[in-house]
Amino acid sequence: MPAGAFYGQDPTKQNELATYFPKETVNDFFNQYGFLIVQMMLQALLGLSTYLPLMAGQLSLASPGFYALGGYIAAVISTKVLPVSGMYPVQYLLLEMLIAGVASAVLAVIVGVPALRLRGIYLALATIAFVEILRVVSLNLEITGGAVGIFGIPQPFQNSLAYALLVLPLLLIVMFFVYRLERSRIGRAFIAIREDELAADAMGINPTYHKVLAFVMGAILAGIVGAISAHFLNTWNARQGTFDASINSLAYVLIGGSRTFVGPVMGGLILTALPEILRDLKDLRLIVNGLLLTIGAIYLPQGLITPELFKRGSGRKAGKK
Amino acid sequence: MTRRFGGLIAVNEVSFDVTSGEIFGLIGPNGAGKTTMFNLMTGLTPPSSGNLTYEGRNITGLPPYKIAQMGLARTFQNIRLFGNLSALENVKISQHVHTGSGVWAGVLGLGKSKSEEQEVEHNAFELLELVGMGDKAQDKAKNFSYGDQRRLEIARALALKPKVLLLDEPAAGMNPNEKGALSDFIRMVREKFDLTVILIEHHVPLVMGLCDRIAVLNFGQLIALGNPSSVAHDPAVIEAYLGGDE
Ligand SMILES: Nc1ncnc2c1ncn2[C@@H]1O[C@H](COP(=O)(O)OP(=O)(O)O)[C@@H](O)[C@H]1O
Ligand SMILES: [Mg+2]
Repeated sequence: MPAGAFYGQDPTKQNELATYFPKETVNDFFNQYGFLIVQMMLQALLGLSTYLPLMAGQLSLASPGFYALGGYIAAVISTKVLPVSGMYPVQYLLLEMLIAGVASAVLAVIVGVPALRLRGIYLALATIAFVEILRVVSLNLEITGGAVGIFGIPQPFQNSLAYALLVLPLLLIVMFFVYRLERSRIGRAFIAIREDELAADAMGINPTYHKVLAFVMGAILAGIVGAISAHFLNTWNARQGTFDASINSLAYVLIGGSRTFVGPVMGGLILTALPEILRDLKDLRLIVNGLLLTIGAIYLPQGLITPELFKRGSGRKAGKK
Repeated sequence: MTRRFGGLIAVNEVSFDVTSGEIFGLIGPNGAGKTTMFNLMTGLTPPSSGNLTYEGRNITGLPPYKIAQMGLARTFQNIRLFGNLSALENVKISQHVHTGSGVWAGVLGLGKSKSEEQEVEHNAFELLELVGMGDKAQDKAKNFSYGDQRRLEIARALALKPKVLLLDEPAAGMNPNEKGALSDFIRMVREKFDLTVILIEHHVPLVMGLCDRIAVLNFGQLIALGNPSSVAHDPAVIEAYLGGDE
């Protein structure tokens, strides 16, 4: 299973992790694991970016494409357009995130309007093709550094863990956003389309508009996460937006649960941490990792987290029948 | 209007007018083309030929959501509720066209979205009360009995504040008691919401007692149109029903 695919993105940080030693103090623990902790949150955000179109019933695997785009935008701006010596200003990073979000939204409308005519597995295939096209284009453009990519992307934070200052609030904000969205007019329209597109249509909801809207929301989020990740990983290249990454973010949703936003968040956190937790198993790691995922998929077909999980708790409190 | 499916002509040059405020029955043996007629009228199926006119406007070829926005709401013969959602959410969803909160207003509870949300919830409860399901608001739609699911579909359609309500076999799967109550209920909502009702129904006594006018379809063709008693004595209708499945 590709949950280990994030290895090798940054060899130095990987070594940092490898020096893990159980008798660390809490502080050292955070330093050692800063990279992993932030990576878990970034992946949770990518899980949410796949969840958003799925809220409207659209199985899109396009997130890594927008993630790659956002990363290239940040990489180009910070190394070529606004090069800074020393620490990279966080305001610049925020500006990059904004630009990445806007660019992703524009591209998502262009891609989404035709692609969202397709249904189910055909949409999934089309979005994989989209990711692949972006990858090939980035391999062949000069501005993206071709096959080598872009190196030495400047750091806005002192160390890996400090990225949490940005990523944790972002994760919380996005979770709040989706939580509220699910309880609002537009979110209800999404869910209605997911449940029964034809019935939603007959109830006055424009399916195309809302499908494109959900797709665009997911794309904006993926683009923003890409912009942060480019700095976080220090280098950006065509291996960032790949089929593997598509499958990863799908796994977050499927294993975590696709019917509440808590699912992809848990999926992203757990599946990113899992290979790390299993590190002591050495070569067996990937096998055990894959086995756990398979068992999860078989015994928890709805994913780990289902809406009923929350309802059961609150229902009892309210003394419902 | 005409609709072909491959070689089959499901609806063959059927033409009728429905007058505002009436209860109009659409009857005929199974496979006669009644549901297809509803699908044509609500935009779910485009016609092979013919025109659909509503309040003097040609609405042929409009997508279903636009037709729904203009005031035509329907139920489905093969119940199409949002099964995993609660009764309350089902009825909230179809208030979409009468509300206007965008993404940000809804998420942040800004502006009128807060009062709008309260109103949506209030309306939803009121409609559930009306169909006798006020105590089941939080239960999942797919777990309801057949009768309750049909009632919930009517509540969901009414939440669109329609001018025309199209009911596709609303009594199917109901027990005789429920069927009796349904007649009174349909009359009551017609009065209360000032509706035009178009009704597909197999249960002949129900249709005869309830409808102002009736159209009879057989093999896609309109074989009779008129008030209940004239239709009941029409030889073509008797022939269709005796020769058919009833
Ligand atoms: N989508 C479709 N594709 C092919 N044939 C259809 C379709 N919908 C209905 N039909 C056919 O059209 C005829 C009329 O069906 P329908 O309108 O459902 O009848 P009724 O509602 O009067 O029982 C039937 O023979 C049915 O098989
Ligand atoms: Mg039918």
